[in-house]
Amino acid sequence: MDPTLHLTLRIALALLLAAAAAHKLRDRAAFQATLAAYQLIPASLAPVVIGIELGVAVALCVPTFGNTGVLAAAALLLLYAIAIGVNLVRGRDIDCGCAGPAARRPIGGGLVVRNVVLAVAALLGLAPLQPRPLVWMDAVTVVAAVLALSALYGAADHLLALAPTAARLRRAAA
Amino acid sequence: MMQALVISTVVLWITVVVLAGVVVALTRQIGVLYERVAPAGALAMGNGPVVGEAAPVVPIDDLTGRRHDLGSPRADGRSTLLFFLSPTCPVCKTLLPALRSAARSEAAWLDVVLASDGPRPEHEAFVATERLDGFPYVLSPMLGMTWQVGRLPYAALIDGGGIVRARGLVNTREHLESLFEAKERGVASIQDWANGDGNRTEVA
Repeated sequence: MDPTLHLTLRIALALLLAAAAAHKLRDRAAFQATLAAYQLIPASLAPVVIGIELGVAVALCVPTFGNTGVLAAAALLLLYAIAIGVNLVRGRDIDCGCAGPAARRPIGGGLVVRNVVLAVAALLGLAPLQPRPLVWMDAVTVVAAVLALSALYGAADHLLALAPTAARLRRAAA
Repeated sequence: MMQALVISTVVLWITVVVLAGVVVALTRQIGVLYERVAPAGALAMGNGPVVGEAAPVVPIDDLTGRRHDLGSPRADGRSTLLFFLSPTCPVCKTLLPALRSAARSEAAWLDVVLASDGPRPEHEAFVATERLDGFPYVLSPMLGMTWQVGRLPYAALIDGGGIVRARGLVNTREHLESLFEAKERGVASIQDWANGDGNRTEVA
């Protein structure tokens, strides 16, 4: 894999995890309640989860950690997918805790798919690097690509969150 | 040639980033539109006591030891708003200011009773931190089961004659107000209103 693509992937993933940790940190009580609702691990582990998210974000940005950061990010995203999946199978309707404390957003199949897609994207970062000298143009590519990816991810996620409302409106109109 | 490619790429990247920003702005506007278009109302669940019929009578003592015959007809004709909440439910907390202001503005005809279940010390701490001591607070798993409360926050409005006037999941201030609206108009829920069944569920 070209180093520019690799760098873009890592930075984008790091930003995603850092943003996730940031909104959990903003309202720790809410996150603790969410974690308790998942009924998988004790709510007292909430700071640990936030710590792991931040740690993985940092590991992704530090080249000396090699592929550890990429693997950890994929594992974390898959774990979240499993946690949501388990609760879907249990037939429970709980807040996913992914939209921040302000907005309630129920868990659903779309979120599982989202996390699996993200985990697969992270695993692409394991492809062997083909080194080449980086030039200033690569910096433009990385910065712009990270900005564009973040914005598009935000938009896609927002649409995913709106899907139940849209479906309800369609039913009401019918 | 190389320079032309570099310039074209830079211009394209700038365009892509701006476009992505526009897409984000558009999705947010879609969210706002959905909210405007949607009828806001407390979502009524299928099960539990039926609107228009007598409420189940559940006598319980509140945290201060006062007895409440929840659901029975009242001599003073005042209505009761049963508000089911839990200290661990974030949405419940965000609704407390709305509940307080509703209790104040509807004080002429309405009593608010908070209901939950679980260990007593937890709820006493909750009452203290959220300053809920102005409301009777009852703890009873029975009450939640009788009303078939599946999700929180949940509210039910019982009139002075012990008749269920409205009930449902309340996630926002508008949902809460819709319960009062439902009582005034005699419509069981926003869904019934949207389906045009308003008159059918009206009870004298």
